[in-house]
Amino acid sequence: MNRSILARRTLGGLAALAVAGAPPVAAQWQPPQDRSPVDLDISLILEGVYFNELSQGNDSPAGFDDGHDHGHDHGHGHDHGFEDGFNLGHSELVFEANLGDLFDGVLMLGFDDDHLDVEEAWLTTRGLPAGFQVKAGKFLSDIGYINSRHVHDWDFVDRPLVNEYLFGDHGLQETGVQATWVAPTATYTQLGVELLQGDSFLPYQGSGGSHTVGDDTIHSSFSSVSGPRLTTVFAKFGPDLGPDHAAQFGVSGGYARTWQEETPHGSGLEEWDGDAWFAGVDAVYKYSSGRAYGHGDWRLQGEYFYREIDVDYERREDQTTTAGNAVGSGKSKQDGLYLQAVYGFAPRWEAGLRTEALGLTNDALPTNEGDDRDFVVPSFDTSYRHSAQVTFRPVEPVFLRAQLSQNDFVDGDGDRDRGLEFMLQLNVALGAHGAHRF
Amino acid sequence: MFHHQTRTRTRGPLAALAGMALACVLLLPAQAAADELNVVATTSSLGALAREIGGDQAEIRVLAPPDRDAHYLDARPSFMAALRRADLLLEMGAGLEEGWLPAAQRGASNRAINTGQPGHFRAADKVELRRSITMDGPNMGHVHEEGNPHFNADPLRMAEIGLALAERMGELAPEHAGAFVERAERAAERLREHAEALAEQVAAEQRIVVYHEDLDYLEEWLPVEIVGYLEPAPGIPPTARHLRSLVGDLEGSEGTVLYAAFQPARGAEFLERNLGWSAHAVPLDPPADAALEGYLELMTTWAQTLPRR
Repeated sequence: MNRSILARRTLGGLAALAVAGAPPVAAQWQPPQDRSPVDLDISLILEGVYFNELSQGNDSPAGFDDGHDHGHDHGHGHDHGFEDGFNLGHSELVFEANLGDLFDGVLMLGFDDDHLDVEEAWLTTRGLPAGFQVKAGKFLSDIGYINSRHVHDWDFVDRPLVNEYLFGDHGLQETGVQATWVAPTATYTQLGVELLQGDSFLPYQGSGGSHTVGDDTIHSSFSSVSGPRLTTVFAKFGPDLGPDHAAQFGVSGGYARTWQEETPHGSGLEEWDGDAWFAGVDAVYKYSSGRAYGHGDWRLQGEYFYREIDVDYERREDQTTTAGNAVGSGKSKQDGLYLQAVYGFAPRWEAGLRTEALGLTNDALPTNEGDDRDFVVPSFDTSYRHSAQVTFRPVEPVFLRAQLSQNDFVDGDGDRDRGLEFMLQLNVALGAHGAHRF
Repeated sequence: MFHHQTRTRTRGPLAALAGMALACVLLLPAQAAADELNVVATTSSLGALAREIGGDQAEIRVLAPPDRDAHYLDARPSFMAALRRADLLLEMGAGLEEGWLPAAQRGASNRAINTGQPGHFRAADKVELRRSITMDGPNMGHVHEEGNPHFNADPLRMAEIGLALAERMGELAPEHAGAFVERAERAAERLREHAEALAEQVAAEQRIVVYHEDLDYLEEWLPVEIVGYLEPAPGIPPTARHLRSLVGDLEGSEGTVLYAAFQPARGAEFLERNLGWSAHAVPLDPPADAALEGYLELMTTWAQTLPRR
C-alpha cells in the first residue's frame, strides 16, 4: 500500500464529501450568535495503588521483549511499573475547553512520582458538515476498544497484555491527524483513518547511526523514512438494541511502512529493517438492568489483535562482515486477546473476571543461534493471565478496586512459572470531568 | 448517493470499510420524510411536549428510557446514530444529562445540534430553576450549580418550555411555525388547567418525603411540602442512621413517601413501617411514546398518591 497515494485519495475524498455531501440540515447551521468565552473545565484524577507480589513467576511473556531476549530474562518485570507496597499510580490532570462550537481541545497530563507526560493534546473540529470530524495533535488512537480509554475508565487495574505488548505501555498513543465520518444510518457507523508519526508503536533509527565495536566503527544500514510512518483505519458499528441492551463492534488495522530496530553488542551489531501491519476486532456489550447504582448491570468486552513484522535481519562483526550465517529475511507473527465480564452484584459493587492469552501465534523477530550463528525465526509458546476484581464505588467519582492476577507466562525455554499478584487501587476524579464515552 | 461512490473509489481496507458502510446505508429503514422535523429528546417528558407540538410535522425519538435515572446513562452508539440524523436536540440541561450527553453529541458529528446552534434546545435556559440541595450540601462530586434540573415534575414550567420549544421548532421549520405555536398554546392551557384541577382535589398542607430531589417541583403546583429526603446526600443511597434520624424528626406527624420506581424501595418501606406513612413508587416521566395526554396522566398519578380533600 502506498501511503501517500492513500492519503491523497482519502483527503481528496473527504474534501469532496465535505463540499458535495452536505445534507439539507447542514444548511441550517450558522455561526454561533453569541460568542461565549472559552469554557475551560479542569479535572484531576488521582490514583493510588497498593501492589503485592504474592508469589513470583516468570517476569515477562516470551517472545515480546524487543524480540531478542530469547531465553534470558533481564530481571526487570513486565512493565506496569508497580513496586511492592504503596505506589502513586497513574494520575491525570485534564483540561478541556471549546472554542465556540468550532473546536474542542483537550490537554491531558499524566503523572506518577517521577514522570510528567503530555498524554494527549489535541483539537477536534465540531463544525464540519455531513458527519465529518478531524482531530489533530497527540492522542490515543481509536483502534480497538480499550486503546483510547484512560485508566479511570478501565474495569481492571492494569492494561490488557495484548494492548501493552503489541502497542506499548501507553497503548497506541501518537502524534498525527485523524479523520472520521459518521454515517446517517440507524445503526451507528463510524469510519476513521489516522495518519500517525509512529513514534510509540514502531522502532525507528533513520540513517547516519554508527556504533563502535572494538577498534572498528559499524555504520547503520538504515535509510531515513519521513513521517508519518503509520497509517491506521477503523470502523465501529453499534446497532440499536432497545432500552436494556447496547453493543458496539469494531474492526481496525494499521500499516507501518518502516520498522527499524538495532541492538549493538560488544562483538557486533544486530539490525532488523522492514515494515509491519496489524489488524484486530473488538466488541463490547452492556446490559442495563434499570436498577439503581448499577445493580444487576453487565458489561462484556473483548479484543483480538494480530501483528506481523516483515524484516531483513543481519548481524555484522564489522562494517562488511556478516557474523556466521546471521543474515536473512523473516516474519514475526504475534497476536493476543482478552475477554472480560463485569457484573454489578449489589448497588455500587461490581465484580469482574478477565482472561487473557498472548502469543497464540508467537513467532518473534528473527535472530541467530548456535556456534555458526544460523538465521532463525524463533517460535514460543502462549502466555496467559487470569484476573479477578471487586470494585466498590462509595460515591460516583470514587472507586476502590481489589484485583488478583495470576500470571502464567512461558519463558524462552518453554518453562511455565506462575506468579500471583494482588493490587488495591483507589481512584478519585475531582472537578468537572467530562462525560464518559460508551 | 454521491458520497458513497467517492468513498468506494479508495483502495484496500478503506474500500472494504466503505463497502460495509454502504451496506448499512442500504439496510436503513426508510428515513423520515424530508418535511418532517427530526427531533431527538433526552427524556420522555420533553418528548411528550415535542410530540404534542410537532403533530404530524415532527418525528420524535426519546433517548433515556423513562424508567431509568437520566443522570446515569451510557453514551450509547444508538444515541449517537439518532443524534447524527437529528434536526433538533432537546435536553433538560442544568447538569441532568452531563454524564453522557456531551459524549454522545461529540460522537454524533452533527454540527446542527451543537451547543449554541438553533438545533440545540436546552429547556433549563427557558425557565427559572429551584435551588438544588446539592448547592448547599457537602460537595460529593455531583453539584447542580444552575439549580434543580428535575423540573419535568412541574407542569407550569413545562407549559412555558412548550411555548419556547414551539418557537424554536418554528425557526427550523418556518412553514409549520403557526401550527406549532397554536398547539403549544393549547398544550400550555391544558397543563395549567389540569394542574389546578389536581391541586384542588388534594387535601391541604400535605407533607411528603422523597428519595432524591427529583420530585421537589411538586411543591410548585400541589399543596405539598417536602419534609425530608431518603438519600442522606444527593447520589448517596439511604443509610440506616439517616433513616432513623428521619423517623425521629417526623414521628407523630402525617405524610406520604414518594420515590421513583427505579430507586430502591427499602428506605421508603422503613418509613412506612416506622411512621405509618403510605409509600408509593411513581414514574418520573411518561412512557417513551407519550404525547401530552401521557404527561397529563402522569400528573394524575402523582396527585393520586396523596390524600384527597
